[in-house]
Amino acid sequence: MALFARTPRAPLEYSRTLWMRLWVGAVMVFLYAPLIVLVIFSFNDSKRNVVWRGFTMKYYEKALGNDQLVEALVNSLTIAALATIVSLALGAVAAVMLWRFRFPLKGAVDGTISLPIIVPEICLGVAFLMFFTKGLNWPTDLVWPFNLGAIVIAHITFCFPFVTMVVRSRLATFNREQEEAAKDLGASEWQVFRDVLIPHIKPALVAGALLSFTLSLDDFVITYFTSGPDTITFPVKVYSMVRFSVTPEVNAASTLLIALTVALTFVALKLQGVKAIAETH
Amino acid sequence: MAEQDWKTNRRVFAAVSLPTLFWVIAFFVVPMAIVWLYSFGENRGLTEIDISGTLDNYKRATEWLYLTIFGKSFAVAALVTLICLIVGFPVAMAITFASEKWRPWLLLGIMLPFWTNLLVRTYALMILLGSQGYANKGLGALWEGTSWVKTLVGLQPLPTWEPVQLLFNNFAVVLGLVYVHLPFMVLPLYAALDRLDRSLIEASLDLGAGHFRTIMRIVVPLAAPGIVAGVMITLIPALGAYLTPDLMGGTDSQMIANVIERQFKKANDWPFGAALSFLLIYAMFILIALQSMRRKVPEVH
Amino acid sequence: MDPMELIKQTRGRRSLLQAMGVAAIGISFGGLAACSKGEGRKLANGEEAKLNFYNWDTYIGENTLDDFKEATGVDVTMDLFDSNDVLFAKFKAGNPGYDVIVPSNDFVERMSKAGMLLPLDHAQIPNKKNIDPAYINVEYDLQRKYSMPYTWLALGIGYRKSKVSSPPDSWKVLFDSTEYAGRIAWLSEAGDMFRLYGKYLGKSVNALTPADITTIEKMMIKQKPNVKKFHEDDGQDLLLKGDCDVVLEYNGDIAQAMVEDKDIDFIVPKEGSQLNSDNLCIPKGAPHPKNAHAFINYILDAEVDKKITETILFPTPNSAAKALMPDSYKNNPVIFPPADVLAKCEYARFNPELQPLYEEAFTRVRAA
Repeated sequence: MALFARTPRAPLEYSRTLWMRLWVGAVMVFLYAPLIVLVIFSFNDSKRNVVWRGFTMKYYEKALGNDQLVEALVNSLTIAALATIVSLALGAVAAVMLWRFRFPLKGAVDGTISLPIIVPEICLGVAFLMFFTKGLNWPTDLVWPFNLGAIVIAHITFCFPFVTMVVRSRLATFNREQEEAAKDLGASEWQVFRDVLIPHIKPALVAGALLSFTLSLDDFVITYFTSGPDTITFPVKVYSMVRFSVTPEVNAASTLLIALTVALTFVALKLQGVKAIAETH
Repeated sequence: MAEQDWKTNRRVFAAVSLPTLFWVIAFFVVPMAIVWLYSFGENRGLTEIDISGTLDNYKRATEWLYLTIFGKSFAVAALVTLICLIVGFPVAMAITFASEKWRPWLLLGIMLPFWTNLLVRTYALMILLGSQGYANKGLGALWEGTSWVKTLVGLQPLPTWEPVQLLFNNFAVVLGLVYVHLPFMVLPLYAALDRLDRSLIEASLDLGAGHFRTIMRIVVPLAAPGIVAGVMITLIPALGAYLTPDLMGGTDSQMIANVIERQFKKANDWPFGAALSFLLIYAMFILIALQSMRRKVPEVH
Repeated sequence: MDPMELIKQTRGRRSLLQAMGVAAIGISFGGLAACSKGEGRKLANGEEAKLNFYNWDTYIGENTLDDFKEATGVDVTMDLFDSNDVLFAKFKAGNPGYDVIVPSNDFVERMSKAGMLLPLDHAQIPNKKNIDPAYINVEYDLQRKYSMPYTWLALGIGYRKSKVSSPPDSWKVLFDSTEYAGRIAWLSEAGDMFRLYGKYLGKSVNALTPADITTIEKMMIKQKPNVKKFHEDDGQDLLLKGDCDVVLEYNGDIAQAMVEDKDIDFIVPKEGSQLNSDNLCIPKGAPHPKNAHAFINYILDAEVDKKITETILFPTPNSAAKALMPDSYKNNPVIFPPADVLAKCEYARFNPELQPLYEEAFTRVRAA
């Protein structure tokens, strides 16, 4: 393996010193050992996660046969998709506003937009609980997927500032002369936006979308406060499973989610190639 | 080129500002304002809350009891951040200076857990740390091994192994928080280190400074913005952590978010919970203000 | 900020499309699931064939919900809660859409006083006749206007037989002794904890004063270093996993654990304890009140409750169901503690003045 090749070490190849390798190796073990144990025990034929009692797939059958769990997963993916789409549009527009214009109270507006990032989840959670029940009287008996509306709104609120942040840092590298040139050539505002600005911020939009999707899929605390009987999401379901019935079914469900993450990542790698990723840097 | 004044192009400004402002006000400012109003209220009867403008909730929230809980949460978060920094810095260095072939894989290795659900990760760690989990079994085996070696060289063997308490205490909370927040620290560190001008390091080495000295005197100062970003991005969520102390903590591991949650769920005292929430938010503001004061130096990107 | 850019670099646009694809599949799949889940299907009583049930964990028969669906066509969705306070907090903000809930005695009183419960139509619950009359006229809900009893339960000490010197027959073991230091788990319910300490001090659970709370708080702080965990009604798991050896728990939870592990036992301490009773209620604003009545009536059926009781192993107030149970249940001293100890046990009444004091004192204990 290349890592162990015996070519002389250049001064900056810190990653090839022994202690660095040990350090990185230890960190990787720390990060992955729990996940690997979790995955292994999802195949354990015992109700308690203690001793290995033989291989079984029955907890996967149970997890996949668990309608509520599957429904929760579907809910989570739906919420994440909807929240991502809206966050993207909203976040991009907000970034353009902050980047392009000078207006009264700009500092305050800027600060308020990034506030949802720093307000602790628990505070946002209780705020939405009060808002939807006391403030809005949000109906709870809508049909799917409209019953997810409250959660989607909550997720958009904490996702879109991240999009704004990423898009803004990308916009900072934009050469405004391009815009001027396009306008000089007779392009309308909309055309400039669509044909000049959007292509430039595209990488940031992609990054923002991924970030929103993961954040939404991951959120527990805020959803916990806003969910009702028909709107259980995957993390909320797993929480009640962890809290109440500690069976390998939880491991199986978690393993499925890990597998989903890994699969998505590797599809991305396959399509783009490891090399390409390194080169984009 | 300078920013455009909004008056010069009102139509476009309206198109980009109205949706944003609407959303932020309707779905963020208003909900937060409701919490803020409630923090000046008091319970009337079983379900009614009367917003009477009282300051009692804040008075209670700044009592010694709650201040110590705030202090403790801050101490835990700071410790977690420090550990993440110490553990994460070499990792970020290793990634930065890894070969082209290995770098993406190392990055991926750090990021994959970051994409994995927080709850799933916490639960995984809990399985490992339980009294009969593998961490304890590993330590037990190590103990027996030492004992065996000692008898081999003719010394008294160690007393029999008693499983150590790894779960349900403050240690578990810190470990759990480090576990979930480590990627938050490594990524900004890496981003800062990667932008670093390598010729500076080479120059330092050429001029005879050792590796350690070069790292401390050249790399760390140049990576300062990344360090600050990493510290903030770790410290803030750690300060408001709810799940980890809830699931992994022991009898004295409550953090401020747990106390807030209890006001809303168990204690049924929304106004007091609202006051505590706002104190926590103010604490975040102070942190941010401190950070932006430090950031007088122009930003890296 | 920086991490976001990194994410972009390793994942790229295509993976986003993939993720979207999965989500799109999710959406269409979810749509189908929703269609098949009884939406729009009307029953003879004019309600759609759905019911939302908010229950405690490990508190229903293995096939009860499926059997109910077979009998009536109604699809039951069950969510779990872990404390009465959580239940109350959820409903304080308005009914989030549940039809049947299972509050304990003091919370039936509290919720009915707060106007959160729908009065039951006893004509729709003919199986009420199966209930032991002793459980019909109760202080917390006179003539069962709002609730039907589901189980009753006693708090006591669950323990691992091989790890204790003698059966822990006094609260002293949990509350005032270093004998099992580091192997003790308490319940995280502030009110229950203070009332049980009151029992240990020889007081009635309903006669505590603020001065008692101060005394008890000091005792708790003194004992806390010996306590490993304040558990959320999952003490039986701590016992089974070997994390703790003496835990404060409900009799039925330990009875369930005893089926899995013969080394576990349960005792109600000699000082007496607190009894609870969990009750089926319909919250105001329930979307399917008729189905809810039908469901409650179904659960009170002797055969149905027998099957539930076989799984959950809690004492049942349903005398018709109890009659069908084997002797191993009827004579089980864990499920039905001896009469002399039971005589010293009491039900706690809801006390709005003391509750916040309990909570704050317990926060101090946690912070100490």
